[in-house]
Amino acid sequence: MSSGSLSDDDFAGSSDFDEEYDSDDGSDMEYEQAGDVGFSDMITEKQRKKAYEVDFSVMPLADILSAQSSASNHVAGILGVTLDQAATLLRAFKWNKERLVERYMDNPQEILDQAGVVLEEDVSPVVKRPKGFVCMICFDDSSSGPALALRCHHVFCQPCYEHYLTQKIVEEGESRKILCPESGCNVVVNEQTIKKAVPQAVLDKYRKLQDRAYVADLDILRWCPAPNCENAIECRLPYSSFTSIVPTVMCSCGYKFCFGCGLGDHQPAPCGLVKMWQKKCADDSETANWISAHTKECGKCQSTIEKNGGCNHMTCRKCKYEFCWVCMGPWSEHGTSWYNCNRFEESSSTDARDQQAKSRASLERYLHYYNRFANHEHSAKLDRDLYTKTEKKMEEMQRTSDLSWIEVQFLKKAVDVLTSCRMTLRWTYAFAFYLAKNNITELFEDNQRDLEVAVEALSELLEKPIEREKIAELRQQVLDKTVYVGSRREVVLEDTAKGLAEGRWEFFTEFAKV
Amino acid sequence: MSGICKSRLAEERKQWRKDHPYGFYARPEKKADSTLDLMTWQVGIPGKPNTPWENGVYKLTLTFPDDYPSKPPKCKFVPPLFHPNVYPSGTVCLSILNEEEGWKPAITIKQILLGIQDLLNDPNPESPAQSEAYVMFKKDKVSYEKRVRQQAKENAP
Repeated sequence: MSSGSLSDDDFAGSSDFDEEYDSDDGSDMEYEQAGDVGFSDMITEKQRKKAYEVDFSVMPLADILSAQSSASNHVAGILGVTLDQAATLLRAFKWNKERLVERYMDNPQEILDQAGVVLEEDVSPVVKRPKGFVCMICFDDSSSGPALALRCHHVFCQPCYEHYLTQKIVEEGESRKILCPESGCNVVVNEQTIKKAVPQAVLDKYRKLQDRAYVADLDILRWCPAPNCENAIECRLPYSSFTSIVPTVMCSCGYKFCFGCGLGDHQPAPCGLVKMWQKKCADDSETANWISAHTKECGKCQSTIEKNGGCNHMTCRKCKYEFCWVCMGPWSEHGTSWYNCNRFEESSSTDARDQQAKSRASLERYLHYYNRFANHEHSAKLDRDLYTKTEKKMEEMQRTSDLSWIEVQFLKKAVDVLTSCRMTLRWTYAFAFYLAKNNITELFEDNQRDLEVAVEALSELLEKPIEREKIAELRQQVLDKTVYVGSRREVVLEDTAKGLAEGRWEFFTEFAKV
Repeated sequence: MSGICKSRLAEERKQWRKDHPYGFYARPEKKADSTLDLMTWQVGIPGKPNTPWENGVYKLTLTFPDDYPSKPPKCKFVPPLFHPNVYPSGTVCLSILNEEEGWKPAITIKQILLGIQDLLNDPNPESPAQSEAYVMFKKDKVSYEKRVRQQAKENAP
C-alpha cells in the first residue's frame, strides 16, 4: 500500500469497513492518488475530496504478499499452529481472521476438518516407502524411490504426486484447496509438500495463483486490469453502495478504471446502468425494435415486409396477397379508394399501430443517445490520431526553431483532457438514456451541453493549422480552453455524483448493483 | 501421465480379476483383431437387493481418457437409464466422476462402480440430469418406483 503501512486489522474482513472508511477521510496522501492527472494540477483551489472521488490506495504485489504473511503470522500466533496451517485455515475463511478465530475457539476440530488441516508435529512430507507399498495411482510396487505423504499418511510415489499437483496447478489453476490424491481424503496439500514435489516453475505458478485467489477472495481488493500491471487497488466501500457511487480509481501505472465492475472509467454512470446499457447495445433487442417499428407481417403468409415508400396497396412478394398497409385488411375490400383507408377501425388494429408508434419512438430515442455515445468514442480516437500527427510537426518545429521543449508540450495535455472529457460525455449519454424527463434532468442536460460545447471548441482549436508565427497565440488559446473544459467536466461529475448520493436522479428503470 | 495410463489400466484389470464385488462385471472391449482395448470397458452394475433396482444388472461403457488417472473416465449407461442423475445420453452425473469436483487419481474402477451402485437408489436431487426421472421422482414416488421396477425387469441378466 502506498499510503501508510498495512496494519493487521486492515484485512479483518468486511464487517468493520464503515468505521475504517470514515477514519480514512481527509487523508491527503490517499487523495492525491485519486486526482485526475490530466487537469488536477491546473486547479488552484485547495485540493479537497470531490463528490465524484472515492478513497482508495494502490497495493503493489509486494504488499499483497506481506499482507498474507502478516495475517498468517497473526493467526498462527493466536491459534498456536504453523504458518502453513494458518494460511490454509485463513483461505478456507476467505481471510476473515475474526470469524476464523471465533469459530475455531468454539470447535477447533470441526474447523480443522473443514479446512483439511491435520495438526501434528512439523514432519517432512518426504517419506520412506512402507513395507508392501503400492502407489494407488500408478500401482508401482517397487520398494525404493522417493515417495510423499501428507499428515493423513496416504503415501504416493513422487512422480505421481508431481504429476497430480502439476495437473491441478497448471491445468486447472487450482490453489485454494488441493486435496490429498487419496479417494475421499479431505486433507489439503500444504505448501511444503508442493515445494518438495514440483519443479520451481510450477511452484511459482502456485504462489501466483494464491495471490490471485487472495485478491479475489477479498471484496476490498481488485486487480488493476491494465496489461502487465501487477498492482491491486484497495477500496473499502461496500459493494451495496455502488448504486449511488461510481468508484473510479487510478492505479499507479496510470490506468483509470471502475473498482465496482473492473471496466474502464465510466463516470458518471453507475455500474448497474453501464451493464444495462452495454447489454442493450450488444444484444439485438434493438434489431427487434427496428423490425417492429419499420415492418409489418403479411396477413396471409406472415412474411416480414418493409414498406419503402409508395402507395398503401401492398402485394406480398412471396404469396402475392394484396392488402392495405394502413388497416392490414385485404385490398379487394377497398374498392376504388386508393390512397386512403376508410375502413372501420377495430380497436385491435389501432392498438397494433399504437404499439408500432411507441416502438418507433423508443427506437428513435435510443438511437439519439446511442449515436452521441458512439460518436464521442469515435471522436476521442480521431483526436488522438490528430495529436499523433501534430506531435510530429511540433517536434520538427522544436528542432528547426528556437521553441523550447516545454513550449510545444501544451498539446499533449490538451488531448489528454479532451479524451477524458469525451469519455465522460460518452457515459453521460448512457446515463441520460435512463433518466426520467423532469426539471432536474434538464439541469443535467444543461451541464452536459456546456461540456459538449466546450469539448467541441477545444477539439476544433486543435485542428487549426500550426504556424510558426502564431504558435504563442495558439498555445494561450489551447491552455485557456483546456482549463475551461476541465472545469466543465468537474461540474458534470460533481453534480451527477451528488445527485446519485442524494438519490436525486429519477431513473425510469431499476438497475441492480453490479 | 500418459505413460501410466495403460499400465494403470492393466493393473486395474489384474486387481479386478483377482477380486471384485459380487454381481458386478468389468472387462475391456475386444478390438476387431481380438486384442483388448484397455481404454474402453464394458461393465455391469447390479441393483442393490431390497430396493426397486434389485434383479437388474445395468450396463455401462467406461471410456478412459489418455491422461487417466489425472482425469476421470466417462461413464455412460447403454442404453440410457431412467434415473434423475443420468443425462439423456446415458452419461452419469456423479461428483467423484467430475474432475473439478471429487475426482482423485487414486479412485479405482471398483470404487467408481460401487459409487454408481450407491447412486442408483440414492439419487441426488441437487443435480438433476434428465427431466423425466427427476420430475417423477419429485412429484410421484409411486409411479417412479413402478417405473424403476419395470426397468429392473428389462435389465435382468
